[in-house]
Amino acid sequence: MNMTSTMLKVEGVSVRFGGLQALSEVGFDIRQGEILGLIGPNGAGKSTLLNVISGFVRPDRGSVHFDGELLTGRPPEFVNRAGLVRTFQAAEVLAGMTVVENVMAAGVARLGEGVAGGLARFVRAGQSMAALYRMACEKLELVGLAALADQPAQMLTAGQQRLLAAARALGTEARLLILDEPAAGLTNDEKMMLAAAIRRIRAAGVTVMFVEHDLAFVSSLAERLVVLDHGTVIAKGETRAVSRDPQVLAAYLGETDLVVARGRAGAAASAAPLLKLERVAVRYGALHALGGIDLEVRAGEIVTLIGANGAGKSSTLKAISGLCKLAGGAIVFDGKPLHGLAAERRIAAGIALAPEGRQLFPMLTVRDNLMIGRFSHIRAAGFGNLFRPGAAAAREVEAAMREVLDFFPRLAERIDQQAGTLSGGEGQMVAIGRALMSRPKLLMLDEPSFGLAPRVTREILELLPRLAERGIAVLLVEQNAHAALQVADRGYVLANGAIVAHGSGEELLQSSHVGEAYLGWQHEDETAEVAA
Amino acid sequence: MSRHAMNKPALNRFLVLAAVLGLAAFSNNPYVINLLVVCGLYALPAIGLSLLMGYTGQISLGQSAFVGVGAYGSVLLAQHLQLDPWYSLALATALSAFTAWSLGWLVFRLKGHHLAMATLAIALILHTVLVEWRSMTGGPDGISAIDPISIAGHALLDDLHFLPLAWLVCYAGLCLADYLVRSPFGLAMRTVSENEAVARSLGIDAAQVKRKVMALSGAYAGLGGALYAHWIGYISPEPFSVAFSIKLLLIVALGGVSGVWNVLFGVFIVVIVSEWLKPLGRLDVVIYGLLLIVVMIYCREGAVAALAGLYRKLPQRLRPGARASLKLQGRTSA
Repeated sequence: MNMTSTMLKVEGVSVRFGGLQALSEVGFDIRQGEILGLIGPNGAGKSTLLNVISGFVRPDRGSVHFDGELLTGRPPEFVNRAGLVRTFQAAEVLAGMTVVENVMAAGVARLGEGVAGGLARFVRAGQSMAALYRMACEKLELVGLAALADQPAQMLTAGQQRLLAAARALGTEARLLILDEPAAGLTNDEKMMLAAAIRRIRAAGVTVMFVEHDLAFVSSLAERLVVLDHGTVIAKGETRAVSRDPQVLAAYLGETDLVVARGRAGAAASAAPLLKLERVAVRYGALHALGGIDLEVRAGEIVTLIGANGAGKSSTLKAISGLCKLAGGAIVFDGKPLHGLAAERRIAAGIALAPEGRQLFPMLTVRDNLMIGRFSHIRAAGFGNLFRPGAAAAREVEAAMREVLDFFPRLAERIDQQAGTLSGGEGQMVAIGRALMSRPKLLMLDEPSFGLAPRVTREILELLPRLAERGIAVLLVEQNAHAALQVADRGYVLANGAIVAHGSGEELLQSSHVGEAYLGWQHEDETAEVAA
Repeated sequence: MSRHAMNKPALNRFLVLAAVLGLAAFSNNPYVINLLVVCGLYALPAIGLSLLMGYTGQISLGQSAFVGVGAYGSVLLAQHLQLDPWYSLALATALSAFTAWSLGWLVFRLKGHHLAMATLAIALILHTVLVEWRSMTGGPDGISAIDPISIAGHALLDDLHFLPLAWLVCYAGLCLADYLVRSPFGLAMRTVSENEAVARSLGIDAAQVKRKVMALSGAYAGLGGALYAHWIGYISPEPFSVAFSIKLLLIVALGGVSGVWNVLFGVFIVVIVSEWLKPLGRLDVVIYGLLLIVVMIYCREGAVAALAGLYRKLPQRLRPGARASLKLQGRTSA
């Protein structure tokens, strides 16, 4: 038996959102004084699990005990006062306050001073604020932000904001700190500062659990790991043992095997590129999402873009579809630069996106959802067409609709059903169908397998070669790299906003680059061998 | 403990305010004095709304209802229970606060536009009740012959005598609100305003904070309404319609969220504009609505901040490194 005592006990937690079983029978412990990592691919249920523990989501079944006290069903503020604090994925600093005020706010609840205390400042509030200020400075010292105490919080860099979120969490004097993706989008230097801060926090007597995608960061910091996939715990234990578990590897890379009946398009290789990205850079505030990437897609070709979460895949698609501004570089489509072209014009030019999470209109029928994909063309045919499409526009809509329904016969059966009542796979078909309604030259798919069972994923991905045969270029962003590379002619591997490898699908399937970009475990093989 | 019971800026503001009011009183211009009383009485509900909207981030179009509860409450209590106006004033303020707190339970299930709609409904319902409940409120004709407030047996009948009382109450209200937003509870309010999920993750009971501030804003509104009733001597439902809520919204939007005292700026502007718009009759609401839209779009931080920003642009080149932009409003000099 282990000598250390259990601090948090999660038992049999299950959560269902509509048709999605987000968590099923999840159970694990956090021990006093440890650093525990919670990992798992996108959509595995990590955020839901954090929300259950911190009281934001009530589980359908199961319980969470903290120091023997039952937390399940308690509101977040109660959970926090019990001594457990969580941060949020986007750091969520309070932008209207100074750095120190952010941390001071965390001490208010513990102070227990209400309106009356505030109104009568003559008496004590001045002292309370001074005490809060001292407390906040201590916490800022711990994460290394003390020098910036009086700066406005919105001036901080992304890395500093994560540190501030941690300091703020500590301001509640919690004994268990839960960090939600603290390293996402940080530079390597920032990650090292963060790791050092987390170690200092633990040394100060606080137990730490964190959710993270960057497995290099995880393996350098966590002592034990819990791995979630499809809402269940697939592995837990010492970091070194878990990181060698083949099941974990498969969960990250996917193991869906596809049957792709298609002669590789040899002709496409010689054709001029339909889409060409040159040194494309994207920035979100302080975050560098893309650091100047080059990429090409030719007509009739399936190209996949793979990489870990936060590597810049979605940002690439957004840059192409005009949903975010370029910080540098240029995009050429069909021989013309896209610079300055609004997103809706790009659709008319032949670029369509089936967005991540499908983004259907759940109250509208399948037919109406598909029709929306044709909107920009109907509008382009003249304003009057919006009220009653003219003969030419109507014919084109009908033709496009026929094509889409030919391609997805299952949608024809459900054409008058509300999109919200469809299964995940059918929903993805509507999302792709909606993109196809604009009869694009380039179809971009963002995580089409997200939240789908392996069988359904296979069904969707195996459709793609048939699209390519029709001369449509497909740019596929996929978490399930294994499946994506089987269906793709070529692939690019992204890591930290840069392309680290590219080649044909088969080449990349064999190469180690993919595993590194995704997993990046920091094995110290010598020590492992000595231990073994 | 209070070495600085009145800190320096508060004292300065008091002196400036006293000087302005003194000058007005000396001028003996009845029109100006009347307007200044109106300003003082408008300021009270506006301070409450500033706490609720500016600092806690919860919109309310229902403040006119709480002003109405204060006004009618005080008058009816005074007449039916034969209370001295001072007592009815206090009771009506408490009643208004309680009303706001109870409604807070209901409306704070909602957010954003839905909250605006629900609070708008409160204002509409109360106005209808005031018009229709003739046996109690006198219907559209209202209630007249309201007892004035008296101090030491001396009734405050004319504007000149009422002016110091109105502004003393207003000054006290401003100071208290200012203390509140600089207190730990003020930090909690601002946290709730910015991000409720974060507030709750830090142990702050966001729902409770919102209800408390709602109750406080109800108290400010009720006190303003009660003072108004005993000053003017006659009340009807008209002044407590939604139009007044919109005026209050405009006042707070003009003042901005960068300080409770800025409310006074909004009050003066709106009262002066109201005078200009008098010939328009009830159409003035249209102008307030337009003004509100303009302010919301072009000076989201409030007109004061917008003007300060313009002012700062000029001398910044002359004074490099001047850290005028660092507004540490919530922090004491620890």
